Amino acid sequence: MLNQSIVVIAEHVEGQVRPVTYELLAFAAALQKEMPSAKIKIVVIGDAMDAMADNIARKTGQGVFYIHVPGLSGYNAEVYKIILAGVLEELQASHVCTAHSSRGLDFAPGLAVRLGCACITGIEAIVKRNQKISFRRAICGGKIMADIQTDSRMALLCVLPGSFAPDSGESAAAGTVMKRALECAPQKSLSTGVIHKSLDAAAVAEADVIVAAGRGIGDKDHLDLIFRLAALFPRSAVGGSRIVCDSGWLDYDRQIGVTGSTVAPSLYIACGISGAVQHVSGMRGSGFVVAINSDPNAAIFNVSDVCIVEDLATFIPILIETHEKRRAEKEA
Amino acid sequence: MKLLVCVKQIHDPDVPVRVNTDSNWVEFDGDAYVMNRFDGFALEEALQLREAFPGLRIDVVTVGPERADAVLRRSLGMGADHGIHILTESGGYQSPFATAAWIAAYATGCNYDLILTGVMSGDDMNGQVGPLAAEILHLPCATAVIFRRMMPESGRIYVERELEGGLRDALEMELPALLTVQSGINRPRYPSLSKMLRANKHAVDVIPSGSLGSPSIHLSVSQTLLPQKMRAGRVLEGNPREKACRLLDILQTRSMLASENSAC
Ligand SMILES: Cc1cc2nc3c(=O)[nH]c(=O)nc-3n(C[C@H](O)[C@H](O)[C@H](O)COP(=O)(O)OP(=O)(O)OC[C@H]3O[C@@H](n4cnc5c(N)ncnc54)[C@H](O)[C@@H]3O)c2cc1C
Ligand SMILES: Nc1ncnc2c1ncn2[C@@H]1O[C@H](COP(=O)(O)O)[C@@H](O)[C@H]1O
Repeated sequence: MLNQSIVVIAEHVEGQVRPVTYELLAFAAALQKEMPSAKIKIVVIGDAMDAMADNIARKTGQGVFYIHVPGLSGYNAEVYKIILAGVLEELQASHVCTAHSSRGLDFAPGLAVRLGCACITGIEAIVKRNQKISFRRAICGGKIMADIQTDSRMALLCVLPGSFAPDSGESAAAGTVMKRALECAPQKSLSTGVIHKSLDAAAVAEADVIVAAGRGIGDKDHLDLIFRLAALFPRSAVGGSRIVCDSGWLDYDRQIGVTGSTVAPSLYIACGISGAVQHVSGMRGSGFVVAINSDPNAAIFNVSDVCIVEDLATFIPILIETHEKRRAEKEA
Repeated sequence: MKLLVCVKQIHDPDVPVRVNTDSNWVEFDGDAYVMNRFDGFALEEALQLREAFPGLRIDVVTVGPERADAVLRRSLGMGADHGIHILTESGGYQSPFATAAWIAAYATGCNYDLILTGVMSGDDMNGQVGPLAAEILHLPCATAVIFRRMMPESGRIYVERELEGGLRDALEMELPALLTVQSGINRPRYPSLSKMLRANKHAVDVIPSGSLGSPSIHLSVSQTLLPQKMRAGRVLEGNPREKACRLLDILQTRSMLASENSAC
């Protein structure tokens, strides 16, 4: 088809473009390889975003379509859906790339209904088999991958942050910015701004070693084991999965993951953690990863350097004991 | 006021799962099922609303094969008033577009003031059914809601949506609306024994999905496979003590332990 386009929707919070926008561009470029006639276009929606639109065009060299919505200082789902439904038809989008983020997931499915087209979330890779493109996404807590395809004339694609490496350089020639003003006020909702929840995440952020507890610890009482294990290491801290924090076993300032802290200690020991993408995205930058899990197929083992298939309730005491015995022998 | 909570039955996430023989979906190693963990938060939110606004009615709906009846019983046991079972054929991939269309078709004309879903299902992990259903029903929708306050004077609801990295979007919405509820907003209660016993006798409305139309499902599975290893993934062998020694050796060569160890 002629004039088809791959549209990237820029994500921004409080006037700052989110880095995932450039990952979406890398995804769009990978998709374009499969459909060379398609053009990439970037859409920026908001008020007073001229500088951001210029920056994106300069950095990427791609054309930016800046939709100036007076009064829309941040994000509003209704406005996004109304505006994009029109713009995407106009741009003859075949594929629309947005982040698998809280914002992207908030408007993409509804927008798909409005356009009568498909939406696929959690995309980590593009695969081509028998001339057909599929999108690879995790299911079953990350234990299995599923390749999803669609025959829809347009597909909204929510791309998992961290899956496509952004182009680091600046483009030689800046892309052009096309600006258009559109009036649009939400009818049924009123966005009242962005709230900052300050977490005191210094403990995990500064630690050299993090021992993290997951639901596999079974019981709050077993946390003691995790703290004792952490005590074997200098400059260590205890972190946890969201489930552990949701259960009140650990404070939220120790939560690791997309809605907690992103950490990169030299050693990360995951205890009874399944390895859900939302957790892994917060720890994948760690230097060395050890996982202790009773399930040999746990997804966490795919992002670990050392895998220990054991019940942590029996293994961790043995580990601590062995360590102490060795130390005592050394001193003797 | 009338509330609808969408609850899904899924395989117990601790049951081993593998790619099926045709490599186009998955199969499980047992028949243990649970309520999708995220849906517990949605139902608990509804129950807390009823405590604040007595007289409010809570319906729960599930889309699934016959066995999914159990998730309705559990919901009734937690305190829901009434269950609706949209009955499907069992097994295989289910597009979120179908699930959402059936829920929306059922809910049309029922005048729910608020529809709640979980933030995602633990097995399919789409995060789509809620926002899809909302749009089909022309309802305003907010996802990943981590805080809410009813504003009964104005018929509105104030919500905060959780964003990444400690931020929240704040908004006010007109009712009726649909919210997807983020985990941690509350601590879901356990079903009570007396309510569970009553729940087992409670009639549930069963609606064959076929009677709700055949929506465009848009998506299909071309292949399922195991994920790639992103790191070395060295599996330690031996008994627990041997594994402990190996691990300590590895950490020692990398100078990661507090004090030097002698090898064992
Ligand atoms: C929008 C959104 C944001 C999210 N943000 C985050 C986030 O920031 N951080 C986060 O962590 N999660 C987050 N989550 C939740 C995430 O999807 C997972 O539900 C969560 O990470 C799972 O925690 P877990 O690994 O502790 O528990 P589970 O997934 O239940 O895994 C428990 C693991 O313990 C193992 N186990 C059980 N018993 C034992 C034993 N005796 N010994 C050893 N192993 C055992 C099991 O085999 C299993 O692998 C988010 C989800 C959503 C939808
Ligand atoms: N089969 C189903 N029956 C009832 N509710 C469902 C079903 N599938 C999904 N949902 C609801 O939609 C939410 C998101 O699911 P999903 O889009 O599959 O990630 C879940 O937390 C449920 O509240």
